[in-house]
Amino acid sequence: MLELRQIHQRYAHHPLLQEVNLQVAAGETVALLGPSGSGKSTLLNIVAGLQAPDAGSVWFDGQDITQLAPEHRRFALMFQDFALFPHLSVLDNVAFGLVEQGLPRREARAQALQMLGVFGLTEQAQRRVWNLSGGEQQRVALARALITQPRVLLLDEPFSALDADLRVALRQEFRSRIQAAGMATLLVTHDEAEARDLADRSVRLLQGRLVAVA
Amino acid sequence: MQRRLFALAATTLAALTFSTLTHAAEELRVMVHSSFALPKPLLAQFEAQNGVKLAIIKGGDAGEMLNKLILTRARPVADVVFGIDNTLANKALAAGVLEPTLAQAAGTVDSQLGGALAAVDYGFVTLNYDKAAVVKTGTPLPKNLSDLTQPAYKGWLVVPNPATSSPGHAFLLATIAGMGEEKAFAWWAQMRTNGLKVVKGWSEAYYTEFTRNQGSHPLVVSYATSPAAEVFYAKEKLTESPTASLNLAGGVFRQVEGVALIKGTVQPAAALAFVDFMRSAPVQQALQTEMWMYPAVPKTPLAPVMRHAAEPAAFESLPPQVIADQGAKWVARWTQVVLK
Amino acid sequence: MKRSRGGERGRVAAGLWLGVWPAAALVLMLLAPLARLALEGFTGEAGALGAVALFKPWQDDYLRWRVIWSLAQAAITCGVALGLGLPLAWVLARFEFAGRALVLRLLMLPFVVPTLVAALGVLALWGPHGLISGALGINLQDTPWLLLYGNLFFNLCLVVRAGVDALGQVNARQVAAARSLGATPWRTFWRVEWPAIAPWLVSSLCLVFLYCFAGFGLALVLGGQRYTTVEVEIYTLVAYELQLGQASVLALWMLLLTGGVALAYAALEKRLAAPVRPVPVARHPPQSALQWLALGLALAVLFVVCALPILAIVIKASSAVWHGAGGVFDAEMLAALWNTLRFSAAALVVATLLGVAHALAAQASVAWRAAAFLPFVVSPVTVAFGLLLLYPSLTASLPLLLAAYAVLAYPFVAKSLSAGLDGLPVHLGQAARTLGASPWRCFWRVTLPLLLPALRRGMAFAAATALGEFAVTLFLSRPEWATLTTLIYQRLGRPGQANLEAAMVLACVLMALALVAFLLIEWPVRDRHTSGPRAQGARLMPDMRRAVRPTQHA
Repeated sequence: MLELRQIHQRYAHHPLLQEVNLQVAAGETVALLGPSGSGKSTLLNIVAGLQAPDAGSVWFDGQDITQLAPEHRRFALMFQDFALFPHLSVLDNVAFGLVEQGLPRREARAQALQMLGVFGLTEQAQRRVWNLSGGEQQRVALARALITQPRVLLLDEPFSALDADLRVALRQEFRSRIQAAGMATLLVTHDEAEARDLADRSVRLLQGRLVAVA
Repeated sequence: MQRRLFALAATTLAALTFSTLTHAAEELRVMVHSSFALPKPLLAQFEAQNGVKLAIIKGGDAGEMLNKLILTRARPVADVVFGIDNTLANKALAAGVLEPTLAQAAGTVDSQLGGALAAVDYGFVTLNYDKAAVVKTGTPLPKNLSDLTQPAYKGWLVVPNPATSSPGHAFLLATIAGMGEEKAFAWWAQMRTNGLKVVKGWSEAYYTEFTRNQGSHPLVVSYATSPAAEVFYAKEKLTESPTASLNLAGGVFRQVEGVALIKGTVQPAAALAFVDFMRSAPVQQALQTEMWMYPAVPKTPLAPVMRHAAEPAAFESLPPQVIADQGAKWVARWTQVVLK
Repeated sequence: MKRSRGGERGRVAAGLWLGVWPAAALVLMLLAPLARLALEGFTGEAGALGAVALFKPWQDDYLRWRVIWSLAQAAITCGVALGLGLPLAWVLARFEFAGRALVLRLLMLPFVVPTLVAALGVLALWGPHGLISGALGINLQDTPWLLLYGNLFFNLCLVVRAGVDALGQVNARQVAAARSLGATPWRTFWRVEWPAIAPWLVSSLCLVFLYCFAGFGLALVLGGQRYTTVEVEIYTLVAYELQLGQASVLALWMLLLTGGVALAYAALEKRLAAPVRPVPVARHPPQSALQWLALGLALAVLFVVCALPILAIVIKASSAVWHGAGGVFDAEMLAALWNTLRFSAAALVVATLLGVAHALAAQASVAWRAAAFLPFVVSPVTVAFGLLLLYPSLTASLPLLLAAYAVLAYPFVAKSLSAGLDGLPVHLGQAARTLGASPWRCFWRVTLPLLLPALRRGMAFAAATALGEFAVTLFLSRPEWATLTTLIYQRLGRPGQANLEAAMVLACVLMALALVAFLLIEWPVRDRHTSGPRAQGARLMPDMRRAVRPTQHA
């Protein structure tokens, strides 16, 4: 279970996050709503370990991991612009995390190929990422995140880079994949419909504080 | 992959470069000016007799060469130096780049050179004129320096810059010694308005600007031995030199060149042997037609071609200490007066 | 690109740690020698006169003339470069024609040409036995035109390239609006385009001024007795007259003046940083006869100014070899070639390491970015001279020489990498971190591969700088470490056709080397890796090199 305790964060002398407390259970998907600039991405960065909070702590499974470096947390972060590595093929992108975990390259690539098969992207394995469509890129990003079997999945507006109709079409597929993976998931979005479709419950960031939403 | 290649290349390079830090053990480094020349067989003979390899390092003009020695005195670039003349000897001593004691012990030191160098040769910096070109102008030769400031001789003279050329420097000293400082600089100022051409070095003056070499100036600052060189190097056999020295009062200066050990030399024995070598009969013979200077060792027979290069009857001279003290000031003033 | 206060874990710390090396290099090889120079200027042979001696350059007629001429020739070059360069840039930016990409790429060529080679090129064209001057029967020796032409050779391309980049930033919609409101093309240019591109051009002109003012190699060879610059004067004072005190005073004044211009440049650069890329004005092929004429004229001018000197060298060298000057390939030349190669290679390696370290450190701090400018501001003559004074026991020692090479060359790597790092999306590194990569692994697997194009570009310029290095070698080298550049200079110093031809052949060899280095490292790769138009159209300003810099300062 992921726990955020009393997270405080300032930004240019304004309080961005105040006394943020949140719990996400394993297998649960929580949507984080709020207007742009409200600190949602900052909160994700703090959870991922890319940023240290001014005050407060991050706990996982009863352990304080606030000081733990991001590469040791095994929290996968999926970005709005997908952040696929342009110098690597689709296959190597997906295999990246496995190589970092110490798997030999050949083994990593084999597993990555399998994963691509699950996502229906086998033909794209050797292509460069910029040649893919928006939807395909999103799938690759998700595959890359999921293959490492992260303990927590963090999603920063995963659909905002896609066209409106594509968004709706992909939601269902997305939901089933995440549920199949079965980890705690924190989803940041500004779209309430999306939050309803994908998450078990929603919270909203209002003026730096978390407010529960029905 | 590329990084590995780079690392390999870097280590090989490092090894190579550090290998150059130690120079060959049995090597005698000789610093000379750019006019140095001796027949290869003679040099080979020295190498064989003394068991050392000669590394001749050309340091540019004599003044430039001395400056290099001064700037690198903490870690000398050579063991023995040839080409420091009477105008530079005191500067060299004052800067402490020479090793006088060893040479003095060997008993070959020449007092003219400030007591640290052994004299090897001497020459006269004077004016040379192109006979044919002068005849063509129809003007008689000038009889003294002040004549040169007259309109008839406008654009005749080309001189090397005293700041960058040793013969140019010597000529400047001659004018100061001959006319006194104030009159000399007045003369230079007049020459400037009378079409004086200034070039960087003697080579440029002689081989580019002198009419003998398709230049446009029939009068050039050069050496008393240059006419003999003209005969020696002529394609056809000549009985008379096409150029001649014009020895005017205040326009002739005697340069005495010497050889000395450099302070901090790692080869004192070989260096001393080199000093003796330079004053030995074969070298004294050879340097006449290689470097076009007169031999300093007395009773050395003159080469036949040197009859075209009679020694000037009179020459100017200045005490070495005066040259050392005032030299820089005079050059600076000359630059002001002539180059603006 | 703001980094939050927490920063990326490890990134800042690592950056500052890495900064130790370039910091040490800058202090030991640049700042300390400058301080020593200042000391010599204040207390040296100028000695008892103290502060009064500081103003000698302005009181002394000869020196004042030198300084004023140095300033004047730089200013004149700026004016001509702008006057010629702006129309050229406009033609290149607005017209579409076959081979346009090639021309733009070739515009970079003068940067890799060592200054001595360029000087020889000018001599080959306009010198005493020059191809053009010989045909026209004019003698340009001892005139300022040789030096000005040489300056233009290097700097016209700088201005043209800056102009092309700047014109690419002009908003097409604004131009369209102006036209539809009744402005003629000329008026549109004056009222819409010019204000937009002016800061870029002024910034490039600052660089041009710096290069010309502090140039050494060109002035040494082309200036003659009357028209040399202050840098040459400093060299003469040290090498021939050993007047260290006066040389120091001059060097200090040079530093002051170049520092002022460099500050102006830095201020302008800051304003121009991170522009938003609007819709660029579309290019079209020349439509009227007049436009074709303009294009042809522009290409002709570029050819004459930038390509002809190089061709002239090649022509002269080939004719020399044809007529049997093959004797120039003797032991001395081979030794010089070997020295050039190994010194440049060693310097390149060190420069790359320093450059990478500096770029990473510069990510963490703005002061570091400014520090990368230092080697640009200081002329190599001043640096070499300061080193001479500061480390007399190290004079003529190889490590010092190579260190000097490296310090003068590494800013190109640092600036190119900084630009590359700026263009790198933050998310990529973050994604790598969350996928399990430690900061080092992230650098190795993601950052570095993506920075390779920028690294190559920087290394190309660093290599070219090292190959053409001249001033430092003149000061600090031992005679047995003669490089191709010093050998060329030696040959030039001896008169006679044979020596000039030998110099031409050597210059050809040197230029071929510079070209090879340039091509090897700058091999055109489909640059689709770096995302974002900013990184791709990476402004070339930071990549501009100082030649002989030979860096134009030898």
